[in-house]
Amino acid sequence: MPVAASAIYFLNLRGDVLINRLYRDDVGGNMVDAFRMHIMQTKELGTCPVRQIGGCSFFYMRISNVYVVIVVSSNANVACAFKFVVEAVSMFKSYFGGAFDEDAIRNNFVLIYELLDEIMDFGYPQNLSPEILKLYITQEGVRSPFSSKASDKPIPNATLQVTGAVGWRREGLVYKKNEVFLDIVESVNLLMSSKGSVLRCDVTGKILMKCFLSGMPDLKLGLNDKIGLEKESQMKSRPAKSGKTIELDDVTFHQCVNLTRFNSEKTVSFVPPDGEFELMKYRITEGVNLPFRVLPTIKELGRTRMEVNVKVKSVFGAKMFALGVVVKIPVPKQTAKTSFQVTSGRAKYNAAIDCLVWKIRKFPGQTEPTLSAEVELISTMAEKKSWTKPPIQMEFQVPMFTASGLRVRFLKVWEKRGYNTVEWVRYITKAGSYEIRS
Amino acid sequence: MAMHGMRGLSVFISDIRNCQNKEQERQRIDKELGNVRNRFKNEKGLSPYEKKKYVWKMLYIYMLGYDVDFGHMEAVSLISAPKYPEKQVGYIVTSCLLNENHDFLRLAINTVRNDIIGRNETFQCLALTMVGNIGGREFAESLAPDVQKLLLSSSCRPLVRKKAALCLLRLFRKNPDVVNVDGWADRMAQLLDERDLGVLTSSMSLLVALVSNNHEAYWSCLPKCVKTMERLARNQDIPQEYTYYGIPSPWLQVKTMRALQYFPTIEDPYTRRTLFEVLQRILMGTDVVKNVNKNNASHAVLFEALALVMHLDAEKEMMSQCVALLGKFIAVREPNIRYLGLENMTRMLMVTDVQEIIKRHQAQIITSLKDPDISIRRRALDLLYGMCDVTNAKDIVEELLQYLSSADFTMREELSLKAAILAEKFAPDLSWYVDVILQLIDKAGDFISDDIWFRVVQFVTNNDDLQPYAAAKVKEYLEKPAVHETMVKVSAYILGEYSHLLARRPGCSPKEIFAILHEKLPTVSTTTIPILLSAYAKILMHTQPPDQELQSQIWAIFNKYESCIDAEIQQRAVEYFALCQKGAALMDILAEMPKFPERKSSLIKRAEYSEADTAEQSAIKLRAQQQPSNALVVTDQPPANGATSPVPVGPLSLVMVPSMITTEDHTSTDQALSQQNGSLTKVDPQHPSADLLGDLLGPLAIEGPPGATVQSEHNAVSGLEGGPDAVDGSAIVPVEEQRNTVQPIGNIAERFHALCLKDSGVLYEDPYIQIGIKAEWRAHHGRLVLFLGNKNTAPLVSVQALMLPPAHLKMELSLVPDTIPPRAQVQCPLEVVNLRPSRDVAVLDFSYKFGTNMVNVKLRLPAVLNKFLQPIPVPAEEFFPQWRSLSGPPLKLQEVVRGVRPMPLPEMANLLNSFRLMICPGLDPNPNNLVASTTFYSESTHAMLCLIRIETDPADRTQLRMTLASGDPTLTFELKEFIKEQLITIPTAPPQSPAPAPPPAAQATPQIPPNDPAALLAGLLS
Repeated sequence: MPVAASAIYFLNLRGDVLINRLYRDDVGGNMVDAFRMHIMQTKELGTCPVRQIGGCSFFYMRISNVYVVIVVSSNANVACAFKFVVEAVSMFKSYFGGAFDEDAIRNNFVLIYELLDEIMDFGYPQNLSPEILKLYITQEGVRSPFSSKASDKPIPNATLQVTGAVGWRREGLVYKKNEVFLDIVESVNLLMSSKGSVLRCDVTGKILMKCFLSGMPDLKLGLNDKIGLEKESQMKSRPAKSGKTIELDDVTFHQCVNLTRFNSEKTVSFVPPDGEFELMKYRITEGVNLPFRVLPTIKELGRTRMEVNVKVKSVFGAKMFALGVVVKIPVPKQTAKTSFQVTSGRAKYNAAIDCLVWKIRKFPGQTEPTLSAEVELISTMAEKKSWTKPPIQMEFQVPMFTASGLRVRFLKVWEKRGYNTVEWVRYITKAGSYEIRS
Repeated sequence: MAMHGMRGLSVFISDIRNCQNKEQERQRIDKELGNVRNRFKNEKGLSPYEKKKYVWKMLYIYMLGYDVDFGHMEAVSLISAPKYPEKQVGYIVTSCLLNENHDFLRLAINTVRNDIIGRNETFQCLALTMVGNIGGREFAESLAPDVQKLLLSSSCRPLVRKKAALCLLRLFRKNPDVVNVDGWADRMAQLLDERDLGVLTSSMSLLVALVSNNHEAYWSCLPKCVKTMERLARNQDIPQEYTYYGIPSPWLQVKTMRALQYFPTIEDPYTRRTLFEVLQRILMGTDVVKNVNKNNASHAVLFEALALVMHLDAEKEMMSQCVALLGKFIAVREPNIRYLGLENMTRMLMVTDVQEIIKRHQAQIITSLKDPDISIRRRALDLLYGMCDVTNAKDIVEELLQYLSSADFTMREELSLKAAILAEKFAPDLSWYVDVILQLIDKAGDFISDDIWFRVVQFVTNNDDLQPYAAAKVKEYLEKPAVHETMVKVSAYILGEYSHLLARRPGCSPKEIFAILHEKLPTVSTTTIPILLSAYAKILMHTQPPDQELQSQIWAIFNKYESCIDAEIQQRAVEYFALCQKGAALMDILAEMPKFPERKSSLIKRAEYSEADTAEQSAIKLRAQQQPSNALVVTDQPPANGATSPVPVGPLSLVMVPSMITTEDHTSTDQALSQQNGSLTKVDPQHPSADLLGDLLGPLAIEGPPGATVQSEHNAVSGLEGGPDAVDGSAIVPVEEQRNTVQPIGNIAERFHALCLKDSGVLYEDPYIQIGIKAEWRAHHGRLVLFLGNKNTAPLVSVQALMLPPAHLKMELSLVPDTIPPRAQVQCPLEVVNLRPSRDVAVLDFSYKFGTNMVNVKLRLPAVLNKFLQPIPVPAEEFFPQWRSLSGPPLKLQEVVRGVRPMPLPEMANLLNSFRLMICPGLDPNPNNLVASTTFYSESTHAMLCLIRIETDPADRTQLRMTLASGDPTLTFELKEFIKEQLITIPTAPPQSPAPAPPPAAQATPQIPPNDPAALLAGLLS
């Protein structure tokens, strides 16, 4: 197993160290100064996540207003290091109640030190699963054995948990109401040329689950993906149902999924961990349903005026609606005055990002609101630099819509006790980098 | 401050200050800029208050380092606001955001002018400050008179006048014309009578700039400056606020003395005496005190006074007083003062007479060489280098050598170079020089550049009595266990050449010498091996009687290196091996190296070069260049042997017998020519680049040293006529011994010949100057323009051009400036009128001085006969009557010319055409004959038709018959002779080529058709 980190630092945006932990002594304690000098204070910040300064490599990542920096001096596994950071951050979030920022770090110094000790040993990543860690690293601290009130939870046996057959699930869970929540979350990445042809388009999706099930249930999930359907029809020797089948690329599963069964039967069956987890991730490049079409016309009238017309068309079902739609239309830096006419939502000019920002809170399907804006530019001293039009960007969320067309066909739960379960399924499509050149 | 009540601005600034990080700051600024853009674009217009507020914000953003590329219009428009707060921000922002090249500034000129001529003093000050900060040429043109008026006005307050003076200074720098008005010098003198010290200081700044540009005009200011100095030195009438630590305005003192240094001398005895009194007072009154600020101020004054004393060539007494003072300084503990003392002492060296006094401090200076501070060590080294002369050279060089082993690595190269130069310049005897250099190489071999050891070799080669000594000495060094590679190189060379001189001494048999040398072979790099191989070959040659054992040893080595990967080594090995087997022939080929022509030491050149690099144009430096330096002492070198120069040698230049005198038939003509040219001093073209021994290392060096190639050329040239003489390798020593320190670039003779055919081109070029020429000819008038271009970053001084016109030309050269500024080109028109036909050539005697080098060249000007010819076509019906009417000598002359350079007929026709002789085809029935016509213009003959007929012999192209006819006997004769000269010797090499011209014979031979035995024979015999 490769080394992932010699040291980890958490810095705020100014470059002050919030907290740090040195795992190996092959890096000096002042390495972070080099990071501050050579990365944070230069324009290269944010361009490349891996930098080498002197004999050390710095891997860094910005999460809200915190930089997480990993320093290694030997040949390390970069992917492992980044995975470690991502997992550690999600673990921290789960501990801090969803927030990971400078304040959260400041409020939890002791806990973080304790966790940092636990999740990595001499540079090698250890168990980062919050479910397991929460068993013995508790936010409240260890309960005193002399306390009058007896513990309602059995004293956890961490060793057994980690080494057992189902390491990710505790035995003896009991819920009054057995519920399973399943969310399919997709984000659409698009780059469209000004002529309307698609230059790049893909969907990255993940299936998130939240289980509140008693005992050791065995779950089986059926999707309308191509391999699964074919296998099924093969086994049941009946022709595949006509209808859309989805080809999933790059599928990755949570460790709970039984891969041997997936390989032989092509079904996703698993014993879920308790609580929230990410069941699988996938990517789709073919047959993407784009939720929005954008038709921009931007005219420059002379040196100081511009006319912007943008029409956005929603192409999903009329009964559905998108939420939090934001269209960002870039304008030149010397923009002075703007006036808008919009058929729905609100628009304004944001000088900090040099964009016209058009927000529509609720966007029904099969409609096409338009924005028309007049932009006046101020004349400058420098001779007019040709303005490289950056692409228009969009943000949105469409509930109950999947850009890939993926559907859950079934979700079966078996448990020896044979209780009834309630299954909840949700779909949501978000914008990844949704860009349209104008 | 005007910012009172601008809440928006202070809120914005506090927002920015509260930003946690750069990104937040950028976002806040972008937002604000968006807001400002929006406001400026507003149609309703802004209230002056708002405008002011936003312009302040813009300035604040700009000063934080963000790009602000709009809103300049608003800023400029604020200048014309009526109230102070707006006007102030307008001026401040304009001078921050705009520079002199912005077009927007033009809009402001008029407003600024109104403020300057207005009555409001504050506005005047604002406007003057802005103009002083960013005013460019346009401002200078339109505002200068007003600023001048302000400066001279008596009603203005001193505050305004101070600013006006500084503003004018800036305008003057941008456009010197602003003060080039009548009577400005007088006004300047008036200004210096000012009582207010502030105005006086500002005016003095202006004066320094003016005087540095042109001191002639400001003579009247000189006494005033002296008076000012007197006033300051006597501490009369100095307000309290203008004294600094008890010193009356040190700034004004320094400036005044700086201004005085720009005047060449002070003639008025009274003024001079007064000034010396003042200087004396400064010199006496300065001492090292405890307070740093006071020290700085008083020393600034003192050092400026020292510079002035040096400049004025004060009496010896005063000088010695200066030196004594400096001597006190260099003994002080404080490093800054010691540094200044050493530096100024180095400057003092420029003044004659004080060296003796400085020498008294030699011990102290040598102590400074061991100072812990490197800059002081460097200064001390410079000073030692400068103060060295024949009397103390031995001490100083030995001190340097001793210091070398302990010196800093960064200094060693400079140190060794300087030691080498001093040893060369001031060597009391040459063996001492050899000792020093060998010691240098021994101690600091890594820092010895090739130039240094080349120079030793050169000295040893040129001095017979030095050779055995040097050989013995290097052998001693070689016997040491660890020897630097440079030492191996020198030793190999010297032992190879001269070890046979030691043969009788014990332990110096060829075999032993060989053994010592060969021991080093495995330790050296590929650049040294070739030298070793040459040495082996020479040792082998000198071994008398031949030693079989040694021979087989050496042959084995050559054999071994025949397959060496390095081409140089391989070639030498192969060649030496082949040569060795020739036996006796080896003697001739590997003969001792001939003497080197005396060249300026490249070391000194190098040192000068590095000094010129860092030249600062201070008054002192300028003066140093004007003064003939006593620093450059050419080693007085006795002529190497009797045969060196058969021609009497002038101090700087040599008469060269033109190489074209070769044809026996025309000896008389050519002698005439050479008599004409006798007065010409030609600068030797044979050594275009003096690279010292550089060519020694070339593969052919041993077979043909530079001298040999020269003389073989001479032989080849003479071979044109008399057949090759036996080439005797060592008998002839090049005639053109080079004493002129500056080598011309390119061949002057070739450049002249090229210009005879062309109307523009380069006449002369050397490392410092290039002289170009452009000519226009109309009838008997000519107009030449000489372009004198200084190629250097330092000015050329004492430039003189003297015309030596022959009797037939009337020439008028316009004034040639005395100094050519750095990198500048000067044009000198020259009018020529042709009086009579003649072939004599005009000569330009040109001289200049660069640094300490006096260069004098005599250049032939291409105002030759053919320039006054005008080709004219003559039809047959006119030609023949004319031809017949001019019958018999002296109007019509005929001559058979032999020894003509053989060339095909069309080529000859081209040649004649290029001399402006028009070929008229078809007039002569014989196709082998050429008929040409032309018109000659001169004041005596006016336009005169000349007719030429040339009959060539197809069987023998080296002879022809030429008939010339014209209405004037002299013209006929001169033209005939002229054409003859051209046909016999024609410059063949491309004019720009720096290489010596290949002899005509070499080219001529192949043109003889090989199947024509008669021509072949004629070619050989003629």
